[in-house]
Amino acid sequence: MTDTTNTFPAAETLPGQERYVAPIEETPLQDVDKVDESAPATSMWADAWRTLRKNPLFIVSGLLIIFIVFVALFPGVFTKIDPNYCNLDNSLGDPEAGHPFGYDFQGCDVFARTVYGTRTSLSVGILSTLIVVLVGTLIGAVAGFFGGWVDALLSRIIDIFYSIPFLLGAIVVLQMFRTSSSIWKVVLVLALFGWVSTARIARGSVMEAKNLEFNTASTALGSTPMRNLFSHIIPNAMAPIIVIGTTSLGSYIVSEATLSFLGIGLPTTTVSWGGDISQAQTNLMTNPMVLFYPSVALAITVLSFIMMGDAVKDALDPKSRTA
Amino acid sequence: METNNVNEKLLAMQKAQGPLLEVKDLKVDFTTDDKRAVHAVRDSSFSVYPGQWVAIVGESGSGKSTSAMAVLGLLPGTGKVVGGSIKLDGQEISGLKPKEFDKLRGTKMGLVPQDPMSNLNPVYRIGTQVKEALKANGMDVAHEKRSALAKALAGDEVAVKTNDDETFIGSAELPALLDAAKDALAKIGVTGDRADEFMKAFKDEWVPGSETRWRVADDLIKAGVKDDDAWVIAKKYVTGSTLNDRIAGLLSEAGLPDAATRARQYPHEFSGGMRQRALIAIGLACRPELLIADEPTSALDVTVQKKILDHLHYLTDSLGTAVLFITHDLGLAAERAQHIVVMYKGQVVESGPSLEVLQHPQHPYTKRLVAAAPSLASQRIISAHQRGENADALLEHHIVGEDKLEKSENIITVEHLTKEFKLPRKKEMFKAVDDVSFSVKRGSTLAIVGESGSGKSTVANMVLKLLEPTAGTVTYEGKDISGFKGKELLDFRRHVQPVFQNPYGSLDPMYSIYRSIEEPLRIHKIGDTKSRQKRVRELLDMVEMPESVMTRYPNELSGGQRQRIAIARAMALNPDVIVCDEAVSALDVLVQDQVLHLLNDLQAEQGLSYLFITHDLAVVRQIADEVVVMQHGKLVEHATTDEVFAHPKMQYTKDLLDAIPGGKLQLGLD
Repeated sequence: MTDTTNTFPAAETLPGQERYVAPIEETPLQDVDKVDESAPATSMWADAWRTLRKNPLFIVSGLLIIFIVFVALFPGVFTKIDPNYCNLDNSLGDPEAGHPFGYDFQGCDVFARTVYGTRTSLSVGILSTLIVVLVGTLIGAVAGFFGGWVDALLSRIIDIFYSIPFLLGAIVVLQMFRTSSSIWKVVLVLALFGWVSTARIARGSVMEAKNLEFNTASTALGSTPMRNLFSHIIPNAMAPIIVIGTTSLGSYIVSEATLSFLGIGLPTTTVSWGGDISQAQTNLMTNPMVLFYPSVALAITVLSFIMMGDAVKDALDPKSRTA
Repeated sequence: METNNVNEKLLAMQKAQGPLLEVKDLKVDFTTDDKRAVHAVRDSSFSVYPGQWVAIVGESGSGKSTSAMAVLGLLPGTGKVVGGSIKLDGQEISGLKPKEFDKLRGTKMGLVPQDPMSNLNPVYRIGTQVKEALKANGMDVAHEKRSALAKALAGDEVAVKTNDDETFIGSAELPALLDAAKDALAKIGVTGDRADEFMKAFKDEWVPGSETRWRVADDLIKAGVKDDDAWVIAKKYVTGSTLNDRIAGLLSEAGLPDAATRARQYPHEFSGGMRQRALIAIGLACRPELLIADEPTSALDVTVQKKILDHLHYLTDSLGTAVLFITHDLGLAAERAQHIVVMYKGQVVESGPSLEVLQHPQHPYTKRLVAAAPSLASQRIISAHQRGENADALLEHHIVGEDKLEKSENIITVEHLTKEFKLPRKKEMFKAVDDVSFSVKRGSTLAIVGESGSGKSTVANMVLKLLEPTAGTVTYEGKDISGFKGKELLDFRRHVQPVFQNPYGSLDPMYSIYRSIEEPLRIHKIGDTKSRQKRVRELLDMVEMPESVMTRYPNELSGGQRQRIAIARAMALNPDVIVCDEAVSALDVLVQDQVLHLLNDLQAEQGLSYLFITHDLAVVRQIADEVVVMQHGKLVEHATTDEVFAHPKMQYTKDLLDAIPGGKLQLGLD
């Protein structure tokens, strides 16, 4: 090989390659690596909030959710009628003044039942989500953080729960609590079969966060592994967990409705959309509207939470945005 | 002088042909999410002549890559050329449609991208990816023009025959060709050792798919075979190669040994340097007239960088290819290119012949850059030494004298340190660190230098007690750290602090700057909220950051700023030793200089000891008192910095020193 280092041709330059120095005022020098103090402060959450605020999906779903929560908390504001007061004289009666949605087969006011059903659905959804996120995150984080045999054991347990068909498992477990009328049995069943997906996500995201350099930095500062887990790793692994939590809240409401529809969920004495839909199906051909109202309420609620989940996902993980 | 003659001829030829690439007042805008235009390149002009190497130098965000991508018609995302002109071979290309650009790329312009790790498709064989490049383009390049230029560049009197240009040796005909050559040599009376010598040279030279018919004939004629006979042999046995031969030929041109086998391998079987060679083969496959090399070696070790750039230079010279070379390293640019274009904040601030720009920088930014470039700084020190002057004034760092070094006590001693790792699916253990011993003296800086895989970071992690050694000991203040637990360990952590390589990874993104710097105080339960706040303010002041950053988050700061925060965090507990693991490697030159200054100042003020891990010998020159050179886990050389730079003992150290960009420049700097 020849010597290839620069031999530098004579001082003569080619046209267009003469010596050029830009006038200094055109590109004034800045301090090296100057801190831009004018920019607004942003953390990951503040950043996410700024993105969310401008997202119409978030605004619409947020307003709807505020409305739904309000209805659930204060159903009395919307109707003075007791949802459990039923008069068979009114069976399948048409809407009339004070009863805008008409009556169901038992002669109960459909509007009142739809309004009061909100509380059941919402409590089941929120409670299940909370338990799922707490349990799932903890178990997933432990599996991801410790690895080794702990991870192997927990992962197999997760796999076992995954392999049980949800409906089958739910029917078996709920049969054991047939006599109980509390909503907790449904919440517990949903949590029992729901924590696994959160645990898997938490495990993956903790494993990722565990390998980030700031943990090593923190260890070298004198921090213990447990302190690292709770003050660095879990906070950094939360974003995907929050996303799946918001999105699955909707699906828990659907599941509750499904179970109540099948007659194994909440007892008929508890006002719930699922139960009402189940009751209404017998008269579907003659009186479709009785089925319509609770279904629409259910659909709007579920849709709001799923839309909210999508918006949060966009904000927390801009890479996943499709547009 | 012969070289002068060649240069003059080359210059005349380049003048006659006119510029190959002419960029005038180029403007490139990017549109942000809220529809604001960001001017990435503003009124930039530069030109590249045929066969010339032109370098664009600038820090990240200066618009150097954007300018190159605009030329290629490959602007990412919302980028758009909004003004000015780009002329390739006199033809305006700035407004072309993507389809028309497709035709230009490959045959007229080639690209060697920056990151060899992500630019090859992992599911295809290397050969398939070269084939793709060949197939995507017609191969009808103006060979003649290039060959003439190649001749001028090589300064070699070679007769160029028309029609023979794209006829390569085929691997099937090679044995017959070699036999014929042997016979021909015998015929003119060349036998025995001399014939063997020629045959060996032929075997090396005649690579199927790369060596053309006229070169074969030429080689034979040079060996003494009569013109006519040589041409008969060449015409009979060099009858064109298969596509596979051509692919192997291209890869071997790019410097890959055993190319035919390599072509059947997948990217993961290649090292970083080999991948970059494969990318060079792809970039040059269709014989472009202009090759755009976007930081082609920034991700590679310095010795590999040198080899690859040497080879690329040789290759482009023999093909007559012009190269637009994008780099952040002024020393490298000056060493490789005839013409330098310095960019700053989207504008060309200075351009001209390399040496002139380097010797007499005029724009304040260029001056700053020349002053900060570590390769040039170490160059200056060496030349001062050669002139027999005291170089101390040139050093930011006040080197602790050798006699003083010997007297001062060891703060950290490493003895026979060994670390073995278990490799997956293999029985034998991999020795990452093999019997390394050295000591860091109080108040001084010891640098560990080595390329990737040398085990230098593993040593750092063992000194920090983040990894347990397989054998050997690390002692701090005379105590073996392996026994440290609980309170003792906490105390050790308080005195030995790290600063890591990646300023983006070592700060928790969820923590505000205040919380990040306060964390060590909190862990060690020092002070209350009020006194901690005061301390954080002091620390920020120490690293020259405004107090207002306390409420900010790492993602709002630049790499250098984050590194300064990391240093502030390390300083929070008043440590004795700071272990810097490639702490400045990821930073732009100017920022790197600033951080090195800071480290030096802190050492002078607080009497800190540094263990400085780096791959960059040029930086070592500016900061270290002693140097340990590591290769493949072993300690190769250990001496004072002056000694290592002036009289390196081992070949490996010499190679490393040799590979510092700009090392061969005769700067005559003052």
